[in-house]
Amino acid sequence: MKREDTIEIRWHGRGGQGAVTSAELTALSAIHENKFAQAFPSFGPERRGAPVLAFNRISAEHPIRVRSSVIKPDIVVVLDPGLVTLINVVDGLKPGGWLIVNSTRSIDDLQSEFSGDWKLAVVDASSIARELLRVNIVNTTMLGALIKTTGVINIDSLKEQLEVKFGARAKANLEACRKAFATTVISSIKTGGQKKVRTFAVENLAKWSELPVGCVVTDVGNTKQFCTGDWKAQHPVWNDSKCIKCGICSLFCPEFCISQQKDGYFRANEFYCKGCGICAQECWTQCITMVEEA
Amino acid sequence: MTAKRIGIESSLAVAEAVRLANVDVIAAYPITPQTHIVEGLAEMVANGHLDAEYIPVESEHSAMSSCLGASAVGARAFTATASQGLILMHEVLLVAASLRLPVVMAVTNRALSGPLNIWGDHSDVMIARDAGWIQIFAENGQQAFDQTLCAFRIAEHQDVLLPVIINFDGFHVSHVIEPMHFLDQKTVDEFLPPYRHPHALDPDKPVTMGGFAMPNMYTEGRKSLDTALRESKKVILDTWKQFGDIAGRYYKPVEKYQAENADTLLVTVGSYSENAMDAVDKMQAEGKKVGLVRVRLWRPFPYKEIIEALSGATNVIVLDRAISLGGPAPVCSEIRAALYSLKDRPQVVSIVGGLGGRDISPANFEKLIATALDKIKTGDAAETIMFGVRE
Repeated sequence: MKREDTIEIRWHGRGGQGAVTSAELTALSAIHENKFAQAFPSFGPERRGAPVLAFNRISAEHPIRVRSSVIKPDIVVVLDPGLVTLINVVDGLKPGGWLIVNSTRSIDDLQSEFSGDWKLAVVDASSIARELLRVNIVNTTMLGALIKTTGVINIDSLKEQLEVKFGARAKANLEACRKAFATTVISSIKTGGQKKVRTFAVENLAKWSELPVGCVVTDVGNTKQFCTGDWKAQHPVWNDSKCIKCGICSLFCPEFCISQQKDGYFRANEFYCKGCGICAQECWTQCITMVEEA
Repeated sequence: MTAKRIGIESSLAVAEAVRLANVDVIAAYPITPQTHIVEGLAEMVANGHLDAEYIPVESEHSAMSSCLGASAVGARAFTATASQGLILMHEVLLVAASLRLPVVMAVTNRALSGPLNIWGDHSDVMIARDAGWIQIFAENGQQAFDQTLCAFRIAEHQDVLLPVIINFDGFHVSHVIEPMHFLDQKTVDEFLPPYRHPHALDPDKPVTMGGFAMPNMYTEGRKSLDTALRESKKVILDTWKQFGDIAGRYYKPVEKYQAENADTLLVTVGSYSENAMDAVDKMQAEGKKVGLVRVRLWRPFPYKEIIEALSGATNVIVLDRAISLGGPAPVCSEIRAALYSLKDRPQVVSIVGGLGGRDISPANFEKLIATALDKIKTGDAAETIMFGVRE
């Protein structure tokens, strides 16, 4: 049974954004403060860009024995702005709990996405990370927002952990964290304030007796229904005036999702494009720019 | 009907059963601990007596992989192995079962390292106990021949579609020349319908085999496999009945010998059952109330038949030809578990013996039974007795 004083955190990110590192640093900082803490990832076939989860449990008083998933978090942190409309990030979030989001959207705009009794915090962590770390990896930046809103760990203990983990790069990461601490905006969410109700996919799982012999998959080719485009944090944008229609982008695309249009120029199929950026890297005339997802 | 009585080595009799079953693919690694089964089959294929693909693979892992691939396209596939060979095959054993591919394999049971030993012993197949295969034990060459034919029919039955291992003891059966009766080709053809798999690989009707399952599906996958294995018993019983009707030799999951009115029942698996029969005959002639129960069907485990056979006894002595290092012997622990829910359950003594080719003669069986009864008398029957070990 979960002890009453245990705080549970669920981190939403994409493979490669560092959600697992966020959870690790949070637990290590809490342990450094002589608290009890856990950090663990969701165990599965994780891929760069695919939505991933990481979790924390923190208790000031009691050793933590529960090793199950976090189902009813006290705090949800969303590292990737695009996930808010893709995944039900508030699933199981306790009344009065915190939803902390990296987004360029205004807090009013984000409030209208949800209906429930929660506290909301927003910070443009991507801009901070790009400015101070020169890369869109927001894990350490978002820790600033977590510390400001919830105080589950303090920034001095995090500083020590950053130094252990990042060495010379700790300074910039701490700076990003402090900037997020300073710029996080706080508000709240009310029940019924939602403007647009979104529905999220619910898995319809077979009973054992419904499985075909040998668990074979008879509807072959169903991976084409798999929207790998959901994984991307950036998408390619072509400047056709520089394009020489050579097709190198299409040739190098590992998803085979770039094709030539009737006018001879190239475009990616956004349903499958994972935003890997190989096309932009390979383009001879540098006519492709990778642009952040909204 | 049955052909004339002939003398032949048991391994070659199994090869003959495989030829009569008209298999499409045989894949085997031809070096020790292999037996004459695949040597005989290689000769038949080379001489044109069997129209099959014979694949001399580079390891047992590949042997089972090849059988699995062959079975997946709807070909009847067979292999044989033993001892370390079976162990090397292990990863693919589990895949064949979970893909529900009805490969048939003869295992001439032999010991495992170490010390290095490939003589008769059940350790090899006991480690394969949980692999999802149907497992049947034969006690002599005739039974090995019969059960090999039955195995194809059981495995390929549309309600089963599971791989089958036919176990018979290395050397004590595999290398022994015995008298036996074969069936003719026409009889076998009538007994054994052609193999069809509902999802056989076919470019016109593609399927994915061997996909992965997340934690939210794996349990259901295992439940469906477990249920198929448990429910295969019905087809096994039906097949043995039909086989008995054409061959005159009937088989049961658990078979009794002089067990009526016996206070003490010895439980054996495999060829040593025949030694034990001689011992039981002698002891009964001396007025001792001793009988024999032999386990033929090992997977699915025949709970009902075990309880029916053993529940009336005062003492049950289970001989395992395998040691579970640091734990209870496999056959005995399952029998104990099966009897545990009975209100008046018999005393059960576990004996490990006959390891790595160590002989247990009929005279030794008398000694073994006396040792076990002594243990019950002195009240320390809980411990496994290692029979014949030099102390």
